[in-house]
Amino acid sequence: MIAKTATFLVSPTHCCGKLKTMGFLLATFFCVFALPASAQERDKFSICWSIYVGWMPWGYGANEGIVKKWADKYDIEIDVVQINDYVESINQYTAGQYDGCSMTNMDALTIPAAGGVDSTALIVGDFSNGNDGVVLKGESDLKAIKGQDVNLVELSVSHYLLARALESVDMTERDVNVVNTSDADLVSAYTSDDVTSVVTWNPLLSEIVSMPESKLVFDSSQIPGEIIDLMVVKTDVLKANPDFGKALVGAWYEIMSTMSGDSASAKAARRAMGEASGTDLAGYESQLASTRMFYTPAAAVEFTQSDDLKTTMQYVAEFSFQHGLLGEGAPDATFIGVETPSGVYGNTGNIKLRFDPTYMEMAADGEL
Amino acid sequence: MKRLINQEPNRVARWLLGLLPFLLLLALYVGASNARLAENPNDKLLPSFDSFGSAIERLAFEPSRRTGEYLFWQDTLSSLQRLGIGVALSASFALAFGVLTGAIPYVRANLSPLMTAVSLVPPMAILPILFIVFGLGELAKVMLIIIGIAPFLCRDLQQRVMEIPDEQLIKAQTLGASSWQIIQRVILPQILPRLITSVRLSLGSAWLFLIAAEAIASTDGLGYRIFLVRRYLSMDVILPYVVWITILAFFIDLLLRLLSRRCFPWFHAQTGNN
Amino acid sequence: MSYIKIDKLWKRYGDTVVLEDLNKTVERGEFITIVGASGCGKTTFLKMLLGTESPTGGAILLDGIPLVAEPSEERGIVFQRYSVFPHMTALENVMLSLEFEQSPLLARLFGGARKKARQTAKDMLEAVGLEQALHKYPHELSGGMQQRLAIAQSLIKQPRILLLDEPFGALDPGIRKDMHELVLKLWRELNLTVFMITHDIQEGFYLGTRLWVFDKERIDPHAPEAYGAKITYDLPVGQTDDALLQRIDQSLNQTEQKKETLHHGQ
Repeated sequence: MIAKTATFLVSPTHCCGKLKTMGFLLATFFCVFALPASAQERDKFSICWSIYVGWMPWGYGANEGIVKKWADKYDIEIDVVQINDYVESINQYTAGQYDGCSMTNMDALTIPAAGGVDSTALIVGDFSNGNDGVVLKGESDLKAIKGQDVNLVELSVSHYLLARALESVDMTERDVNVVNTSDADLVSAYTSDDVTSVVTWNPLLSEIVSMPESKLVFDSSQIPGEIIDLMVVKTDVLKANPDFGKALVGAWYEIMSTMSGDSASAKAARRAMGEASGTDLAGYESQLASTRMFYTPAAAVEFTQSDDLKTTMQYVAEFSFQHGLLGEGAPDATFIGVETPSGVYGNTGNIKLRFDPTYMEMAADGEL
Repeated sequence: MKRLINQEPNRVARWLLGLLPFLLLLALYVGASNARLAENPNDKLLPSFDSFGSAIERLAFEPSRRTGEYLFWQDTLSSLQRLGIGVALSASFALAFGVLTGAIPYVRANLSPLMTAVSLVPPMAILPILFIVFGLGELAKVMLIIIGIAPFLCRDLQQRVMEIPDEQLIKAQTLGASSWQIIQRVILPQILPRLITSVRLSLGSAWLFLIAAEAIASTDGLGYRIFLVRRYLSMDVILPYVVWITILAFFIDLLLRLLSRRCFPWFHAQTGNN
Repeated sequence: MSYIKIDKLWKRYGDTVVLEDLNKTVERGEFITIVGASGCGKTTFLKMLLGTESPTGGAILLDGIPLVAEPSEERGIVFQRYSVFPHMTALENVMLSLEFEQSPLLARLFGGARKKARQTAKDMLEAVGLEQALHKYPHELSGGMQQRLAIAQSLIKQPRILLLDEPFGALDPGIRKDMHELVLKLWRELNLTVFMITHDIQEGFYLGTRLWVFDKERIDPHAPEAYGAKITYDLPVGQTDDALLQRIDQSLNQTEQKKETLHHGQ
């Protein structure tokens, strides 16, 4: 692809002027728009992340030079870019602008994997253990949700959580009316009388729960390990450049050990992450409390290797298929294969999402 | 050879010249799309025209699996309804406001500064207040459009009313007209075609606010669909929707222009504007 | 008692004196044409007659009663431009004042009343020679026809004074001639009292029964605004000869020139 565009740029000497201009325009257009990151061996990479409790360490690691230190160790360069819109960051990754991106397991399946971008979950960072929840106004029983308008970001993990919550009380989505509501406006929307129930994530969740009359009736701690926060990278880039994976994983676990525990430096790190996400130390720690962080690579490896992960991905795939998120070409939920250490879920001929603990194992074994 | 500024393309050349940038864009798109699809046949960023076709067919001509509705038409209907109500209410309010403030100095002194201040408030910045006051239903969406475009229309119409030549107002008085009669027979009929012109100018913003409103909280609508599938980078849906919005906007504008020409021939002859 | 009495009329804007101490009487049926250098208060004077400006001192009395300080039905007006309503046909333009009079709330007539008003308006349009253009909009009419329409519109309510503010200034000479005949015809038939501003002294002599010349008698070069204009000539038409005409012309030119030099000197 690169080679093709490059020829276009240098060869038109024998064309007439008009064609030359057009060739140049085309080439520019291709460079800007149409060049997915290449899989060849190289020494410059970029990853993106967005603000969320489990991903704040990336910003901290970039600011403190930890990522650079590890990149230097493997003689490569890694750009860490913060993108303010979560969905946009995944879209940019899927479109080919970045080699890696932080996202949840469900979005990894439904956006890059469903879009044909073979992706690998390089780091399993944490899972939501109460960070996502269903809130009702004035009712403390989840069953009361029947017949209500439910405001949430449609087709997101909130939507998935709602589906799982309804399942737990023998209801389906047909029993409620889902209203797509932008996450940026959810808190202010909740103050309006029209809104009686919402599903959302932190920090919005704690904001909403703290309002009078609000009752948290279901949260992600009731489906532990199903909403997982990952660092996802392009499978082919990782294959061609194992050093890229090693540097990222090495940096991540150094950040993890820096921020965990009660030492003054760990607190300072958490305070910095809290402030970067717009809250303070206490606010950030309360979000961490409902997040099961894997501070050690061993814990992450254990989680990844368990059979539960495969089952979780099956739930997620089935939900995604029912909502048309696997693409129109998908005949059933197993259309996209998901590889986990305990086996492949779905179509082995079309594996697009891989949970690969290899690099985390290296970290656990101190081989990085 | 004549100077460049004196050379006019003939009819055919004008069409071709106008068409050329569109064709060029199309060619660029097809080229880039093919290149990306060769790399990854599932690429979603620049889908092929086949994908557009099947997305349109699925949304416009097959009932939805979940609700049984024809989503494309349902979205179009909902959006046009919101846009229509929002623009119609804005226009009526602006007409009343513009005529009263333009014609009556006391009303102008009283209300004009407020409207100037209101028109400077970016509506998107006070969304939370709108939610509390108007809720999150249809009313809120229509209100966002109204708050978005009514101040502009009000100020514009006030200006247009004040541009009516003094001679006409004096003349009407010498013919024995009261203030009320002048408003009815001299100001109102002359301001209607100008209202249509202003509405045409404000339609772009109206669409913007409509789509913003639908992105914030909604269960259907063109903006809703675009923002919903944006999450999944479904450009095969987004791009046809964008083209459709463009077509709708173009025809609404055309319709208003024809209406104005038909109803107010004197206005178009007088100002020489189209 | 005279029909119109202009009594010690002054007009100042701040320190600038525009008109000083005008005293005149006008009888019913007189046709007064007003000429003068630009800036000599002709238009200000007309505006005071019309009611859009009020005197600083003195008064204009109609039948002994001061004119109200806003335009009213007593005074009809034809401006050089914008005198007719562009959104109405000729017939509607002329009917309008009847509708104002008879329908205070809707300003529209229906049924028999409308028919009657239409007939009245038609007759008026015929009188000004527009019987062929009843249903045309002003933009479809020539400049001369538009002014005919404006005159018809003003006269239908039979105003006690008709004010003409350079009504033919924008017309071609040939058409102007026709308009002169029309105005004289209407003036005689309807026994109108007319004030007309013109910049054409010939036109003034031809049309008027009296010609007023507005001019500044004194100009103080250090304070050009200190003295206002007066009516320097009040000529009954018929008493004129070429020498007088030239004298007036010269005096007006001098005023213009003085003002020019002052202007440039500033």
